[in-house]
Amino acid sequence: MERVWQELIDAGTGGDRRALGRLITRVENREPGWREAMKALYPRSGRARVVGITGAPGAGKSSLASRIAAILLGQGRRVGIVAVDPTSPFSGGALLGDRLRMFDVATAPGIFIRSMATRGTLGGLCQGARDVARILDAAGFDLVLIETVGAGQDEIEVVKAADLVLVVCVPGQGDAVQTLKAGIMEIADLFVVNKADREGADELVADIHSMLALRGERSREAPPVLRTCALSGEGVDLLVAALLERADRARSSGERAGARIREEILTLIEGELARAVRRRFAGGSRLEEAVKSIRDGESDPYSAAQAILETLEPER
Amino acid sequence: MSETENDLERIAEAEEQWRREVLEPRVKRFGIGKSPTRFYTPTATRGFDFLTKVGFPGQYPFTAGNNPFDFWRAHAEAGAKLGIRPDAPGGGAGAGRYSGYGTPEDYRDYQLRMQSLGSRGGPNVAFDLVTQCGYDSDSPFALGEVGRVGVALDSLRDFQVIYEAFTGERDIDKVASNFTINAPAAVIIAMYAALAEKRGIPLEKLRGTPQNDILKEFIARGTYIYPPRPSMRLFRDTLVFCRKHLPKLNVTSIGGYHIREAGATRIQDLAFSFAIGCAYLQAGVDAGLEIDDFAPMVTFNAFGGSMELYHEVAFQRAARRMWARLVKERFGAKNPRGMMIRQPIAAHIGCTSTTLQRPLNNLARAMVGGIAGGMCGALPAVYPPFDEPLGLGHSLEAIQLQVDATRILIYEARIADVNDPWAGSYFMESLTDETEAAAQAELEKIDGMGGAVAAIESGYMQRAIARSAYERQRRIESQGEFVVGVNCFSGEKELEVSVNRAVEQLYDPAQMATAEERQCAKLAELRRERDGKAVSRALQALEATARDEARNVMPDLIECVKSEATLQEICDVLRGVFGEAEPVKL
Amino acid sequence: MSGDRKIRVLIAKPGLDGHDRGARVVAYGLRDAGFEVIYTGLRQSPEQIATAAVQEDVDVIGLSILSGAHLALTRKVLDRLQAQGAGDIPVLVGGLIPEGDKPPLREMGVAEVFTGGTPISSIASFIQSRIASP
Repeated sequence: MERVWQELIDAGTGGDRRALGRLITRVENREPGWREAMKALYPRSGRARVVGITGAPGAGKSSLASRIAAILLGQGRRVGIVAVDPTSPFSGGALLGDRLRMFDVATAPGIFIRSMATRGTLGGLCQGARDVARILDAAGFDLVLIETVGAGQDEIEVVKAADLVLVVCVPGQGDAVQTLKAGIMEIADLFVVNKADREGADELVADIHSMLALRGERSREAPPVLRTCALSGEGVDLLVAALLERADRARSSGERAGARIREEILTLIEGELARAVRRRFAGGSRLEEAVKSIRDGESDPYSAAQAILETLEPER
Repeated sequence: MSETENDLERIAEAEEQWRREVLEPRVKRFGIGKSPTRFYTPTATRGFDFLTKVGFPGQYPFTAGNNPFDFWRAHAEAGAKLGIRPDAPGGGAGAGRYSGYGTPEDYRDYQLRMQSLGSRGGPNVAFDLVTQCGYDSDSPFALGEVGRVGVALDSLRDFQVIYEAFTGERDIDKVASNFTINAPAAVIIAMYAALAEKRGIPLEKLRGTPQNDILKEFIARGTYIYPPRPSMRLFRDTLVFCRKHLPKLNVTSIGGYHIREAGATRIQDLAFSFAIGCAYLQAGVDAGLEIDDFAPMVTFNAFGGSMELYHEVAFQRAARRMWARLVKERFGAKNPRGMMIRQPIAAHIGCTSTTLQRPLNNLARAMVGGIAGGMCGALPAVYPPFDEPLGLGHSLEAIQLQVDATRILIYEARIADVNDPWAGSYFMESLTDETEAAAQAELEKIDGMGGAVAAIESGYMQRAIARSAYERQRRIESQGEFVVGVNCFSGEKELEVSVNRAVEQLYDPAQMATAEERQCAKLAELRRERDGKAVSRALQALEATARDEARNVMPDLIECVKSEATLQEICDVLRGVFGEAEPVKL
Repeated sequence: MSGDRKIRVLIAKPGLDGHDRGARVVAYGLRDAGFEVIYTGLRQSPEQIATAAVQEDVDVIGLSILSGAHLALTRKVLDRLQAQGAGDIPVLVGGLIPEGDKPPLREMGVAEVFTGGTPISSIASFIQSRIASP
């Protein structure tokens, strides 16, 4: 591994925040040497609990993450927060605005907040978040919160990086349970009804319970439904206790751990293959010939893709 | 306007023919897609009912104006002969020019200088950001900000120093005071009351306007402290207290102005301002006040502005009619005075319409605002002074040009000789209707969300305004909208007309530079000299009252300021009870 | 440099100034120019800005100040950046900055001052060329 990476890793995991920030950037950008760096970091990780927080926009996830972090800090723990926002499919840019909701813990020495954009690559978000969580883990953070908006497939993806998933709902959002993306109900380990002082909180709790009952539980027990009020802090203590306990249980579950590792390997492979395909063919003559031939009415995208894939076979 | 259906049919047919024979050939001849101009006929105002839609100036629904003529118009000729500025409010006994900087001592001396130059009114006070956000001058948040955008104020002592310039024939029972203060407005009102008490002046004589419009702070101006709901509780307390004890004080100045400056569209401005107005009126009603008693004390802060002359005139007409209808129908008011939009100026272009490039052009721009104002029954205020965007304050030349421009509109163009000159215009009446309808639809949408407070808590208003601001920027950058000298006609061949500004040293920059230091020294002295126990007692009492939603904090606030608790000490107690407002995600 | 690289910008309003129209418009505009914009909003202390810049490892910092306190606040922000080892991150200042204050800001170490009417595309190009050749 190159010296510059080694230095970054040593400094970053040794308390140098600037180095830590830079390390994360270089890995996120897949700069040459990133894989070696992650291999070196992997053995140093595995201690931190990784908790995913997702839910509809306006549910107060960032505030909640902030309150959870504050309590953990008070317990002498060090907390990393990865806040994820969507990349614009049109411009490739992103507006990362979760950090501003976490103003009360933003400068605490035991905290590290990193904003990430989904960046739209296949499995990219999930792996990206995993990488950042792992780096923070290796740097000695006890818990990493990954916060995303539960409004898309990406967000359901990201929870594959977490030991435990919190789904946050809020009363007064119309049919709150129905509006939750299908799939989120399945992944939740814990439901949180935030802004529980608002009207409709009881109904929402009841709705969630009945939705869970309707689905009919599989082997695992039904996830608990907790109430919090992030603004006042009410209920957050209990939430923190519950999530610490459950995160530990999840991590020690062999089946779950195996599934996660399996997922990660496949994601890494898929990610690299996708990148390789783009690098190899985008802007290349073979692709342009195919495009021309389709436009001339001599072929179709399916045949073109198949032809190109077949040329890959001997190389696999 | 009283065309029959038959007439309208014939006109419609004639219009169709005109289109075919005159308009379309012309469009074709010039090779453009469609006509760049529009023409309006009686068909645009089918079914128009003059009495319901317009009526008369000074009568419901006030479309044509709050009254047939204002004070300044009544005495315009006399005023011209005496050299009195037409925009001296209330004949000069109102609050004067918006001002404030440095320490209270600096500001007091400034006021004394202005008085020696002929100013007769009370203070129209701008406070620094530290004060507006409920901090003291020695707070870490105060870095660089003390005495900058306004005067620094940390205690009742400071307040008294400012008012050393207002005694005798300018005492507070004779002149009005304006305070541009929102989140800690209750504390400033308490200081005003405490000052009157010290001077032996009955509270009923106090006049003026605290801005006291906290809801717009969350969406447009940013000097909030507490979250929206506790802020509304404080508003209620000021409202109830003022109605009872300071009946001549206006209770709020609702800032459509700021909402537009923050980037809202005209329609959003109108709808959001009225949603906020309704929230305030409802607060009064919920507190058991009579609408007819307190609605007249609800004022507005200069709705406006953009460069689009016709639209701004229509906006004012629509706003007046819409507010009158809301107050009457939604709140059952009977007192017409509560149905009027009372504002210091009406249509104007807005500071964000001025440009840094070729600043003298801003005078031409401000003139358009003055014309719009004059044409909708208000002072033809040519505002702001051309050097507004330079960030150096307004020079004497710029102020003089501005004031003369207003005079030229009144005396030479005679723009204020006719009430609502556009009344009955096919174009203006249909534009007014459209504006009102669009604003009404948006207002109903906010009603559906639960009202202004809910729309603010959810971030709806903030996001809508941010989007509008961005859309406008994109239009300008893509030349979808033109700003002369900025995105067009700005090439090398264009002349840079140089700006001559006598450096206006009304604000002494040397004083501003040392304001922080001097205020901190005074704070240290204050803390040494005052009775610490009395302060603690007063603050504790305040806390207990604040925790009880049903009680009114104003009496305790008055005790606190009298005990010489500082502004931040008081605001911190309330922070402990109410919490602080959290930023909304974009 | 890998094709995944995105330019990361921090947009902050130091001090108590609450007029955030300009900051928001620039944030949206830079997002639409393909940047990742970390928008921290109002009332940022110099410490918060420096901490955010370090944790987010941004390529450039944009400060928006309309209260007239730009000299004192910028100096403090640059100070804190230096203290956290991030003195190399270019700082841009925008808002209500009189012509006469631009030289002192540059002398302090500000990379550029962008005042009213500047198209966002100019800001984006400036950042891009600055990153390409620091």
